[in-house]
Amino acid sequence: MLNRALTAATLVASLALACAAPLATAQSQTPIRIGIITDRVGPAKPYAEPVTLGAVFAAREINAKGGVLGRPIELQIEDDQGRPDISATMARKLVDAGAVMIVSLSLSTATQQAQTVSLETKTPHFTPSNSGDTLTTQIANPWFWQSGPLGSAQVATLLSYARARNLKRVALITETSALGQMTARSFREALQRNQIEIVAEEVVPGGATTAEPQMQKIRAANPEALFMAGVVTPENVLMLRAYRQLGLKMPILASYNMSVPVYSSVAKGLLDGIAFVDAFDPARPEAKRFSEAFRKDSGTEPYNLHGYGYDGIYLVADAIRRAGSTDKDKIREAMQATRGFVGVMGAQGSTYGFADGRRTGFDTNGMVVRVYEQDQQGRVVHTGSR
Amino acid sequence: MKSLLQAALVIAILSAIGFLLGPYHTDIYRKLLLWIALALSYNFLFGVAGQVAFSHFTFYGVGAYAIVILVTQAGLPLPLAATAGIVLCVLLALAVAIPATRLDGFYLALATLALAQLFIVFLNEGGELTGGSGGLTSYRLPDVGGITLSGPRYTVVIVLLVTFTWILLARIDQSWFGRACRAVRDNPQAAAAMGIDVARTRVIAYALTSALAGLAGMVYAFVDNTVSPPIFGLENAFLLLFMVIIGGSGSQIGSVIGATVLYLLPFVLSPLIGHHHALVFGVVMLLVILAQPRGLTGLWAARPWRSR
Repeated sequence: MLNRALTAATLVASLALACAAPLATAQSQTPIRIGIITDRVGPAKPYAEPVTLGAVFAAREINAKGGVLGRPIELQIEDDQGRPDISATMARKLVDAGAVMIVSLSLSTATQQAQTVSLETKTPHFTPSNSGDTLTTQIANPWFWQSGPLGSAQVATLLSYARARNLKRVALITETSALGQMTARSFREALQRNQIEIVAEEVVPGGATTAEPQMQKIRAANPEALFMAGVVTPENVLMLRAYRQLGLKMPILASYNMSVPVYSSVAKGLLDGIAFVDAFDPARPEAKRFSEAFRKDSGTEPYNLHGYGYDGIYLVADAIRRAGSTDKDKIREAMQATRGFVGVMGAQGSTYGFADGRRTGFDTNGMVVRVYEQDQQGRVVHTGSR
Repeated sequence: MKSLLQAALVIAILSAIGFLLGPYHTDIYRKLLLWIALALSYNFLFGVAGQVAFSHFTFYGVGAYAIVILVTQAGLPLPLAATAGIVLCVLLALAVAIPATRLDGFYLALATLALAQLFIVFLNEGGELTGGSGGLTSYRLPDVGGITLSGPRYTVVIVLLVTFTWILLARIDQSWFGRACRAVRDNPQAAAAMGIDVARTRVIAYALTSALAGLAGMVYAFVDNTVSPPIFGLENAFLLLFMVIIGGSGSQIGSVIGATVLYLLPFVLSPLIGHHHALVFGVVMLLVILAQPRGLTGLWAARPWRSR
């Protein structure tokens, strides 16, 4: 009787084990969902798209190496059309879908509005590419982090370069877009703080067909260098064309916008010698390895924006790995504990980290100034903001 | 009595939907209702009064920013802040509308376009008052009579706004003023000959609809508890115009259909065809304008099986 009961119990246990094994396997194969909010049709599309491609590449690479916690990661990509209100809606969609982390790659204002959802739902939220200075200060959201260089860091780096060249009298030029005006204002304030005199300040209106009148005034003021704060490509090209046509020789120090490689094709023959601020050092070993792998995978050359997305997903994966689970609280703690994370972005030796309760992770000394050489983005000529 | 009961039933049904949906669908539902409220008031301005103005979304922004600034920075109680916000919208609308009555058609569109641009510049350059390019955030709706209006309760507030806008505009449309607006739209000279004060009619229509847009903006301000310049950009002013045209200019039900179709289109199509939904949007716009200038409601009116 006892034997029969034992046999039956063994059978039941074996059956249960046999049934449970695939369940356990299935559990381990359940993907870890990371939500991405990008802009595929709106104003941020030219920037958000390469960042998204970098993120997708990183996820593929991580999964090829066995995933995170033995599970593959799955990116759920949603389009907010560059509209802040839709960004918040998409954040809710991702939370409903079970995303353990939201990664925002759209406009800074869209990311800010999505933060109202991450704060309310206590969902880890992160942007690897937004440069808005107030994203981590305007909302007291302990669930949000930012790892891209802040706008203020690019100004500080460019100013550090100007100080190193002992510039005393400079000119400033921009265009009429809101961001262009804002960048010019940051430049102006930083120049004044550093007691560098602005001898001429010009604005090229949107839709202009030439920037020669503005450049002639700048030539008349005879500055030692020209700070270019424009962020709209057609107007920036007009400025460069006028600069060349008038045969001006003073060095140009350009904003972060000139680090987008579109200029190599739309401003051919106008770029040599222009210095611009960037967060990508092609000579950095990690950047070299990334460029090679990306080129091999997609057949195209990556640039700084791809690197942001790539680093972003690796940072998130690292936090989940250290959290040891997909529990949102644990991921939040692990994300905040990030220190010395080595990515592909930044100057050689710079790392990401959220020390002292900060939620901005880019090394404040990690930006570089590069120069265009033969119409291509060339070597680093200056590092850091000190 | 019957219409009161009908309104109560509509409010009950639309509010009940808010209690049944999950967070994501509730968010879409609320924002759709706000677009409908805006489309209804813009339909009166553009479709009934015949004014091609691009400032309607600007007043939505004025209302949103006004309530936030008045509540959080000036410390006014909510009812007083809401009243002051509406007064501000009306005063601003009068300041724009009185000189603008000299303008017509294309020139009115340009003048209001300039106002819309100016508003965005003001928001970006407004310093601590407007929060600059980052806007205002980290605020919340004060309790009303000890009640916290959040979650599905706030959906009820939005439903009340839409119903109020619908009923008010339907009443006005059927009144002498509505007929005066249509007469001015169709032929200002003939309207004047019939004794209608054309300028006054235009100013009142503009101020009334702008105040309604401002009211909708006030309600929007507490949906995500954040306001920023891109939300009130020109793209949305054009989207609003397309909503009214697609649905059927001059028709309230058309505005509801237009707003619903154009707002939901990206959500429905994105999972199926990705970002090509923008292309579908363009094709739909072209088809409607070329094939049925009276919009989607015109399709129903022109149905072949219609009894003659």
